[in-house]
Amino acid sequence: MRVGVYFCLCGPNIAEKIDSEAVRQAAERLPGFGYCRTVEFLCSAAGKSAMEKDVRENRPDRVVVAACSPRDHEETFRGVLARAGMNPFLMQMVNVREHIAWVTADREKATEKAIRHIGAAMRRVVLHEPLERREIDVCTDVLIVGAGPAGLKAALNFAEAGRKVCLVEKEPVLGGLPARYEAMFPDMECGPCVLETVLGDVLHGPHAERIEILTLSSMEDVVGYYGNYTVTIRQSPRYISPDLCIACGECIPVCPAVSGNPFNYDRNDKKAVDYAFQGGLPNLPFIDAEICLRTTRNEDCRLCREACLVEGAVVYEDSGKKVTRQVGAILIATGAGLYDCSRLPNLGYGRLPDVFTSLEFERILAANGPTGGAIRKADGNPPKRIAIVHCVGSLDARHKEYCSGICCETAFKFNRLVAHKLPGAEVTHFYKTFSVSGKRGYKLFGEAGARASTRFVRYDDIDRLDIRSDGSGGHHVVLNAPTAAPSVTESDMVVLCPALVPSEGTARMARMLEAATDRFGFLEELHGRMDSVRSKVRGIYMAGTCQAPMDTQKAVEQGLAASGAILAGLVPGRKLVIEPVTAVVDQERCSACRSCIPVCPYKAISFDSGKDSAVVNSVLCVGCGTCVSTCPSGAIKGNHFTDEQVFAEIEGVLS
Amino acid sequence: MCNWCSYAGADKAGTAQLRVPHNLSAIRVMCTGRVDPQFVLKAFREGADGVVILGCHLGDCHYKEQNYRALQRHRILLAMLRQLGIEEERCRLDFVSAAEGEGFARLVTGMVEAIKTLGPLDLPVHSHGLDQKI
Repeated sequence: MRVGVYFCLCGPNIAEKIDSEAVRQAAERLPGFGYCRTVEFLCSAAGKSAMEKDVRENRPDRVVVAACSPRDHEETFRGVLARAGMNPFLMQMVNVREHIAWVTADREKATEKAIRHIGAAMRRVVLHEPLERREIDVCTDVLIVGAGPAGLKAALNFAEAGRKVCLVEKEPVLGGLPARYEAMFPDMECGPCVLETVLGDVLHGPHAERIEILTLSSMEDVVGYYGNYTVTIRQSPRYISPDLCIACGECIPVCPAVSGNPFNYDRNDKKAVDYAFQGGLPNLPFIDAEICLRTTRNEDCRLCREACLVEGAVVYEDSGKKVTRQVGAILIATGAGLYDCSRLPNLGYGRLPDVFTSLEFERILAANGPTGGAIRKADGNPPKRIAIVHCVGSLDARHKEYCSGICCETAFKFNRLVAHKLPGAEVTHFYKTFSVSGKRGYKLFGEAGARASTRFVRYDDIDRLDIRSDGSGGHHVVLNAPTAAPSVTESDMVVLCPALVPSEGTARMARMLEAATDRFGFLEELHGRMDSVRSKVRGIYMAGTCQAPMDTQKAVEQGLAASGAILAGLVPGRKLVIEPVTAVVDQERCSACRSCIPVCPYKAISFDSGKDSAVVNSVLCVGCGTCVSTCPSGAIKGNHFTDEQVFAEIEGVLS
Repeated sequence: MCNWCSYAGADKAGTAQLRVPHNLSAIRVMCTGRVDPQFVLKAFREGADGVVILGCHLGDCHYKEQNYRALQRHRILLAMLRQLGIEEERCRLDFVSAAEGEGFARLVTGMVEAIKTLGPLDLPVHSHGLDQKI
């Protein structure tokens, strides 16, 4: 076996510190030596083309490049070898510049070390295998779970780029939480109006035919990996045909079954056949099987079908459907919920009347909400004094350590809506700290502060707040100070602004896709700063509040970012390149102990019971090598970092 | 030395032209999770007087948490080395980030000094070839 050595002088960088002639003479005496070339600048255009020509003419079996750090130019010289018709993995680099020339004062010692390291590389490289990058076909369609702002904008991006999208939403309507808001900070635009343009495009826009919308649906199963997923989706019956229904609403008044409306947090009632809320899109009622007399009491009620103006639009026989879709990537946009306020019993939530969460108050304020937008107490009268408590469960090690970053602006939005709807009503903000960052964040905060009806009360520990009944329908918000007498604020209504927490759907998706979550339950990013829309499982992406608390603007940005990342990775006509530096299981040696499976954070190893062996999915494997050193049977080989190769290098540097 | 943090930190020491002992040789792996205890035993057998495993700082691993695996293995390895009569100081595990060129130079210089005080590794005869048996 002939090894060709290319020794780069890197101008004076290496030449001044190392005696290249001594290196050449020493290399000549090593087993396997073929030839040695000393080059002024190997990475220059001239250097690379000379090397390419030389390799082509001399046909070495292996190549050692003694130059700079492989982190700088390993890919460069692999490219040169590939162009010269040689397998690029039959090369080993020696980091002469960074690890020897630049850090060793004594020229003789530096030369001696360079010789040892080149010898080690020669011993190692003869054991290198001609690894091949593999290419596989990929599906470029995408599945999006969650049709909030992040999922919707991502869906539009994919459709516009010509990709097919399957958009899965568990609710009967699209738009996520902002679809239920009377106004959005900072500009007080109405939530459904802001979403209207996006939803209009998703439902009827120029690219809408590429977006398949599955409402009342959830992902049931997934098999496969990046580029080739098969997903099973279960759609619950709507009992109303989207193709035939004209949304006249004739079915609703005749329906005899009534129950609390979960879309308004049970603040009003809805019929078994009803809209989720007025203005929700797609504009279709649905029959709630948990209310309908046909499903709950097995009665043969047909009133809605009889009232329906269109033959066949009410479909009692609908049993839902199970569909499978082939996709290349999955984008999770399952959103967030609120921290459970009943964990702070001193705040009276669920115990006292007229104590609401921020989401409940959003619905009370909304024109399409339970009170038509009128702020009313349980006794039907408008409140005169409203207390808004910020930081509920936030910035608190006993609850959630983080600041959700959106509650303050939400609270000041409430302040403005209250001032508009109930002029003169007092609003007291109980806060721990304010977070109103960004170029628009100050706006509503400043307005609230300028209002004579606004009061601010700072608290340091939410346990010192005590919300009690005043005995006549109102509340006393008591702030117990450690040294002074308690201060009492009278209020008729209390709005709690709790921390954002991952939704149940997010936890479900994380389990199903084996995507890691952080200690708060949010999906964990590949890199918190640089790659926050990629999960650590290749092919699984995330956008919006399933990743971290954020406002609608950021959620939309993440939807766009994730769609960009997916579009860049999965391109029609382009195959997916699989790097060969991965782990490989020798099925004969595998003892089926499964030790390797839990150590792989990329879910790249699974157990094939048919073969009675662990198997590595090379699409998902990133080549870290942890499973290789974990395997007690020595059955896993780490390509390009095999035991034999590393041993040879160790022998070489210590010779 | 892992490719992403500590090897890059060593490169950084080079770029800054700091002094690094000439008798230190870097073996690059993609991750300290790949460092099989046999690599360390092999190095001692081949005449190394000390071995240092360098990875990303805990929490910064390029491959999520594999440096914790290295940490666990290192603890077990130390117990084994004790039985072989090799002082714990000869086998360290430490962390160097890609930015810590100076930290790298200081760490390895200190390690070489410490091993010089211990003197050359003199493996007891009965442990010769033990690594191969293991």
